[in-house]
Amino acid sequence: MGNLSINLKPNFMGLLKCLNSINWFIVFFSLINLSMCIYEDQIGKFDWRQSYVGRIKFAQFDTVSTARKIIVATEENVLAALNLKTGQVVWRHVFESTSSGNIQLLHLSDQIITVTGSNPYLVRGWDLSTGVLIWEWGLTLQKNEHTDFSEWWVQNGLLVHMVPKFGSHIEVSVYNVATGHNRGATSKLPAVWINEGCVLSPPYYTCISGSPGNQLLLSMDVTSDAVQIISKPLAEYTTARNANLNPFDTNTVIPGFLLNEKIILIRGNKFEAINIAVSEPSASVALVDSASGPLVLQTWNDEAKGFTLTAHNLVSGQRVNEIGWSDRSLSIPEPELSAVICTKTAREQHVCRILVTAADDASHLIQQEGRVLWTREEALANVVAVEFVDLPVSDLDAAIESEFDQKEGSVLAAFTRRLQSQFQQLQGAVRTLLAGDAAAADEPPPLVRDYFNLHKIMVLLTDAGKIFGMDNLSGEILWKLYEPNLNTEAAVMFTRRSARHPPHDAYLTIVGKHEETGNGLIVSLNPIRGTPVGEQTLHLDVQILQCAVLYKADAQKLHALILLDKDENVQILPESSAPLVENMYMHVADRSSAVVRGYALRHDGERVSAKNIWSVDLSGGGSQRVVWSVSKPAAERIHSAGRVLPDRSVLYKHLNPNLVLLLTEGPDPVHKDVVVATCVDGVSGGVLSAHVHRRARRPALPLHSEHFLAYLYYNDKQRRHEIATLELYEGPERWVPAGAAFSSLRGARAPHVQRHAYIVPAAPAAAALSATERSLTDKHVLLALSTGAIVELPWALLEPRRALSPAGEAREEGLVPYAPELPLPAEAVVNYNATLLRLTRIHTAPSGLESTSLVLATGLDLFYTRIAPSKTFDLLKDDFDYYLISVVLAALVLATYSTKYFAARKMLKMAWK
Amino acid sequence: MQQFTLFFVVHLTALFASTACIDYDGFLNMKLEHSLNCNDEKFCHRGSITLKSIRTGVPIIDQILFNEKHLEALKKLANEDEFYSIKTTITTGENSKGTEYLSSVKAQAFLENGLSDVINAWILPNGAVIAVNFQVANSTQPLKQATNEYKLNSKFYLRYIEQAPVPDTASYIQKMERDREAREKGEMKDNRSFLAKYWMYIVPVAIFVMISGATNPEASAPAGR
Repeated sequence: MGNLSINLKPNFMGLLKCLNSINWFIVFFSLINLSMCIYEDQIGKFDWRQSYVGRIKFAQFDTVSTARKIIVATEENVLAALNLKTGQVVWRHVFESTSSGNIQLLHLSDQIITVTGSNPYLVRGWDLSTGVLIWEWGLTLQKNEHTDFSEWWVQNGLLVHMVPKFGSHIEVSVYNVATGHNRGATSKLPAVWINEGCVLSPPYYTCISGSPGNQLLLSMDVTSDAVQIISKPLAEYTTARNANLNPFDTNTVIPGFLLNEKIILIRGNKFEAINIAVSEPSASVALVDSASGPLVLQTWNDEAKGFTLTAHNLVSGQRVNEIGWSDRSLSIPEPELSAVICTKTAREQHVCRILVTAADDASHLIQQEGRVLWTREEALANVVAVEFVDLPVSDLDAAIESEFDQKEGSVLAAFTRRLQSQFQQLQGAVRTLLAGDAAAADEPPPLVRDYFNLHKIMVLLTDAGKIFGMDNLSGEILWKLYEPNLNTEAAVMFTRRSARHPPHDAYLTIVGKHEETGNGLIVSLNPIRGTPVGEQTLHLDVQILQCAVLYKADAQKLHALILLDKDENVQILPESSAPLVENMYMHVADRSSAVVRGYALRHDGERVSAKNIWSVDLSGGGSQRVVWSVSKPAAERIHSAGRVLPDRSVLYKHLNPNLVLLLTEGPDPVHKDVVVATCVDGVSGGVLSAHVHRRARRPALPLHSEHFLAYLYYNDKQRRHEIATLELYEGPERWVPAGAAFSSLRGARAPHVQRHAYIVPAAPAAAALSATERSLTDKHVLLALSTGAIVELPWALLEPRRALSPAGEAREEGLVPYAPELPLPAEAVVNYNATLLRLTRIHTAPSGLESTSLVLATGLDLFYTRIAPSKTFDLLKDDFDYYLISVVLAALVLATYSTKYFAARKMLKMAWK
Repeated sequence: MQQFTLFFVVHLTALFASTACIDYDGFLNMKLEHSLNCNDEKFCHRGSITLKSIRTGVPIIDQILFNEKHLEALKKLANEDEFYSIKTTITTGENSKGTEYLSSVKAQAFLENGLSDVINAWILPNGAVIAVNFQVANSTQPLKQATNEYKLNSKFYLRYIEQAPVPDTASYIQKMERDREAREKGEMKDNRSFLAKYWMYIVPVAIFVMISGATNPEASAPAGR
């Protein structure tokens, strides 16, 4: 206001001037716009969201409502409606991820009925078209045991709950579906013959019982008032030694079951063996109703013919030829018939729609003749690891690069190369001119690097063992690879060669475990095309303890993979890189014993050996266990080595590249639970700092970059989430001269550790730091909250150097005064109103633009966006007025020349006077 | 009086305990073994460090003297740029079985700095040691020779793991209270009327309106007709 009053003079001109200056203020403040949000018309321009539901557990076609849907219940505890035509999610309800959200039953009548949880149970009714909850009632059983094998189904508008007690009896309760009113109370049916191998085909419960060789096939209608047991010797149906009962994958017609490879129905209280052979032991069998009577559908993956589906008429046993085909192009491993609907057309032809779920969690809706209507890659609901891979440069750019690469050669050769490449460039330019913009918009952009390197391929590794290559701009799946033996628990991905080195292909390696043996399984592929390269799929004969990528590349620009196995032997892939191993260190933290060991790797001329050089025991008397171990991102650049203080001195950062943050938690006799955060040097094993949080639990989401670290924990005393931050400083003087390499083994000096803690007024689910190419841009923290929002916070708010009331100098430095609670403003939410359910991880990657960081959030949903922590200082605004600036420029040029002409004329006239 | 002093002592020890951040006191025994001149075994005796009380942290260091053979072996390691490893076994009153820790320094650096090292033992509030680190002290002193034998120059520090800071709500609330009080006082001072405070803005606007009204009275006059 003071500024204003000086400018303001009691006359008109003064006021005008003042208004002018206010205008400038407005312009100025709009330039340093502090909010980080996007405009409404920018929604979907730089970001996309994909919604998933998880592997389908139950599915039913909605035949009641006008808009055709498939209602699915999934392993991820999601109830959703999928559009029949496109496969997109119409509506979706996400239940608790714990056992209380486990879906036990999905039943469709005029509304959807679900049973969730495991004692207590919740029975809910949902509206078919909108998915709105209509009614709900709860049920708690007195006895908790045996409920694991309980079964639910709906029969004649009544909900039946059956709890078998093996070797004793069956408890059956019948409820009114909508009200939960227990109609006939609980009845106990004596059945000493039931065991774990029994199958239910409502309302019949069927078992094989008796001593071997004298086995009986027993079945009972558990809902009938009079107990009637159907009993037949097993030998009548099968002669196999170990007979197995299996239910049908889908059955809407007659109670029945599979006895080994035989279909047996229960009709009129009698077993009835059907004369239709099950072609393959692994085949999925379904019994469905159609206009011409019930059909038996079978599907399996034939080695020779690929995906195969057959149909037989249940009554006649005849094969229905119009349903049934095999397709080698479809890769559906271990198909399972989730839902089938068959109708008849006017021409008396069967029309079936079949929802098939495969072992790779993908669901396909297949129509007649094997036409796949849509495919949902539900494996993406469980992404384990993500790697952003640069695209190769275009052929043209590669030619230019190679032109400047070649040093040798005569002048003439260089000249011809130049001519050639320029001719190519000209050709390219002409081609793009001729093709025009319209043609370019239709076809997908080619997989080459763009000018700002914003276009990348994201390689996503999923829990199911399926690997995806995804375009980051469109979210389109470019390739997929299913690795059935890959156990992705604690799997890691390394880009061992980027696409920057033509003619060599990019090279990506996944190190995981074998599903059965637990030994190391290494998958190497070309991340651009998804084709196996190099070692391809390598199954080791030993378990892997630790793996790393060698920092030096070999002649083929390939970084070797170093594996430390359980017997502390070292394997180098490829072996030819072994002589490159030098100054290589590894550390292994044992989760349960909390012992951390460090190894020095040496190449002694023949082979590489690992020597245990340090070990620390973080168990704290045996109670603590390691929860997290985080080191710095591998290819991190550091822009500045210190911070300038107001008195012009420099506070140097402690930039130890080997620093590892280890978080342990465990019970304590005095303070209930404690969390210990220890900073260990990964090379020397020296502890740099350690702190203990009392009455704290669940340390999570550690962040580690440059000289700062942060982690979250739950404060048990205050019942809230808190974030602890720490920064390491060397002090006003450098330990090592500028430019000298840092060595962990040099000597005993401890950095100065600044610490603080802040309250997070939300429940964070994931956290990440923004990453830019040269780390010039500010570091921002991305916090994913359980509410489905991703909040972008500047590191300045988490800085431990924030003082409560900064004195003069600290204020000059620009530190924000301390406030115990972190602000989570709504305008800092990067995903605006696109709620992301059950987020688990956030991945960031640098782009070619220094200001921009690429972000992918994974969880039940995938969300991609890009953020600019220090604003887009190197990029023109999205709505930049090119037209205006060119008009202004042209007008200026015109004005300059015209004034020049007029000035010359005037001078001439003056001279004549 | 006696009671009072006793109370005082108890209070003092409690105070001390909170500063040392240790819930537990007892002895600490460290057996040091190194991998140097050990004949057939992997590790052999180098010395021991004993603390009578963890709380006071005063160590009694007892180490062997290095003879020519030791030095010879150390030089050999230094030539190969190898590590000189020390294994520490810690026994306390609660943990009589002992826990092993391993640490290494570059043999070259150890030799150059005249066999001087710094030993840091990090101890949790419950009295459990998490790590024993050996680091070479940055002292370019020559080897101390005592009749053909070389003295090890070790410094021992017991590092207590402190409690991490918690969100400082109390002092923040105090600060807010202070700010509020200051603001209230400030408002009390400036309780002039609206006109008294903002006359410098109102007067020019009024004058401007008057001038613009006075300069073209004819313009408004036809509108009235």
